[in-house]
Amino acid sequence: MTTRIPIIMPQLGESIAEATIINLLISVGDQVGADQDVMEVETNKATMNVSSPCPGKVQQLLANLNESYPVGAVLGYLEVNVEDARRLGLERPAPDPNAASHAGDGNGEKGHEPERKTVQPTIRSLPVPAHAAGASYMSPRMKARMAELGLHAADLSGLPGSGAAGRVTIQDFEKFLARLEQHKLTDASSMRVAVADAMRRSWTRPLATVALPCSFDNMLAHRKVTQPKMGPALYALRALAVALSENSAPAGRLIGSKIVHPASIDVGFAVEAADGVLVPVLRNADARPLRELAVRYNELVELARQRRLPKDATGGSIATVTNFGTFGLTWATPIPLPEQTLVLGLGAGRKVPFWDEKRTQFVPIMEANLTLSFDHRVLDGGAAGRLVGRVAELLQTPEKL
Amino acid sequence: MSITYLEAIREAQAKALADDDRVFIYGQDVGAFGGAFKATKNLAAQFPGRVFDAPISEDAIVGAAIGAAIDGMRPIIEMQFADFSTPGLNQILNHAATLYWRTRVPCPITVRLPSGGTSGSGPFHSQSMEAIYAHYPGLIVMTPATVEDAYSMLLEAVSIDDPVIFCEHKYLYYHLKAAALPTEAMPVGKARVARAGRDLTIVAYSAMVHEALAAAEELATEGVEIEVVDLRSIKPLDTDTVMASVARTGRLLCVGEAWPWGGVTSEVLARVATEGFNLLDAPPQRLNAKDTPIPYHPDLWSVHRPTARSIAAAARNVLRS
Repeated sequence: MTTRIPIIMPQLGESIAEATIINLLISVGDQVGADQDVMEVETNKATMNVSSPCPGKVQQLLANLNESYPVGAVLGYLEVNVEDARRLGLERPAPDPNAASHAGDGNGEKGHEPERKTVQPTIRSLPVPAHAAGASYMSPRMKARMAELGLHAADLSGLPGSGAAGRVTIQDFEKFLARLEQHKLTDASSMRVAVADAMRRSWTRPLATVALPCSFDNMLAHRKVTQPKMGPALYALRALAVALSENSAPAGRLIGSKIVHPASIDVGFAVEAADGVLVPVLRNADARPLRELAVRYNELVELARQRRLPKDATGGSIATVTNFGTFGLTWATPIPLPEQTLVLGLGAGRKVPFWDEKRTQFVPIMEANLTLSFDHRVLDGGAAGRLVGRVAELLQTPEKL
Repeated sequence: MSITYLEAIREAQAKALADDDRVFIYGQDVGAFGGAFKATKNLAAQFPGRVFDAPISEDAIVGAAIGAAIDGMRPIIEMQFADFSTPGLNQILNHAATLYWRTRVPCPITVRLPSGGTSGSGPFHSQSMEAIYAHYPGLIVMTPATVEDAYSMLLEAVSIDDPVIFCEHKYLYYHLKAAALPTEAMPVGKARVARAGRDLTIVAYSAMVHEALAAAEELATEGVEIEVVDLRSIKPLDTDTVMASVARTGRLLCVGEAWPWGGVTSEVLARVATEGFNLLDAPPQRLNAKDTPIPYHPDLWSVHRPTARSIAAAARNVLRS
């Protein structure tokens, strides 16, 4: 049994909304194989091919040479067997061919018709990001209005645009604002806004996270017999500082074609404060032993909670340690501060069985994840893995920290 | 009882002659013949000695009018076609426009320019000259689009002390009718919102106002609300009204029947882009006659100048961007 399926103008690239047919490689009646090129199309970026999704016979061609069609437009129909169509999720009854040729109407000479309607995905599951441009292009008026209201492009991420290539027009925007007013609105705290601003700037970079399960037994044992009391985050902070003192390159920042190495190993740690997070900094954490750091650490935690951090204890750090394990979380992907390349995370510890080679049996250990989120422009998974591995190693001998 | 754009111009001149002894009309065949388009029909008989024929010399006509104005008169002069005002350019631009600024003696002359195209009129009988005159400081340039404005603005042109270039559109002479002459008028220098809308501002003047309104009517059937601003006078240019409209709509299309190069549409776009950039939600666009001499053949002429259809197409482009 056969059925007919459409040949669709595929999504050819992130910012491509349409393409021009420059070569028809098939004619009606031709047999085509799976993935056979059937048309050559040209976008403003490159020349590409449209291929058939499965074997079949060309039943109808709707596309004209040298005309442009939007992504998702029906360019023709193939007669294929029903199983193939079903496998591809294309077994829907074909739309009326006349309607289809209309949808494909590019910049025709039909001056009176509203041309190029909004691109609609013709097929279920076809990724047609017709509205994907969103707030990526902003008109002068949009920019001025956003600045006036103190909004950022990220605030519009959920707003599909009706303008050219799916951009958000001023009318889309004003309607969006009007709709917002129907909701309950409360003011975000200045702390929330500051965190949002930092996160937005951080997010301009390609960030990645790696994780390594690590035994905390030695550290916890050491902690029991040491004064003053120190939290796992401080152990991890000191271990990270030592690891970075051996090789500071992973904490460097990429500016243009230069890696800017840190001048000193100043490491911050996240402290939850009302409606946000503060990051006090321990200066020269590589040069000061754990016990000395602990005194300052405890002072800074207290000051941070009161939101009274001194100036010299904020900013200028090269990495941050965050203990998301305190929330019971075992895994997270923290985001480095905008001026940092690294953030080391600690998950919640759990008793897990560990295969002891010497005793040839499972033994219970306290294990927690160490995560390292990093700017992938500066380092790769290998370097990140080596760094987090070195931190885990240092944590096994806490008395040396 | 209705009155045409042309009749309104005749009536305004009759009223000016009746109201003020200093007014006279001078031009080729304006007397017994009643003017090339009959804009002065019967006025010579009605006002003996005050409506008289000139030799075929635009230079001399303007020069004589300037002399009379210096002597306290308020002459109205008719060019048979705007195209033929060029032999009088030296008198208008170098003398009339600068007179007050050089001597503090005003130059209250009114130069009537039958302007714009009608089918089959070709390169010498279709031109729109407003941009050239607007370029020169010292001149007022009026471009009435309605019967009411043709009447009231011509009266105002005669009464003000500056030299006025009065661009009356030949296509509107017979086509455009109003029920009666107006009894009140907007001040010169104020633009008029001819149709209110919220999606796109079309700025036009003279005959193009009507093409723009027809385009707006067509686009209304597509669910688009166009605002049409009639500039009325292009000098002074009412930037405030244009800017306020763009503030409402965020989009601008400016239409002129004259050529594009250094014209009224480019001036409007330049002002909005420089003073109102942050009002724009889409690149501003303009539509003009094609940048070639005006063709004779009616088919060529109909695609040479903007029409309701080409305005609607341009508007769709602006709305899509």
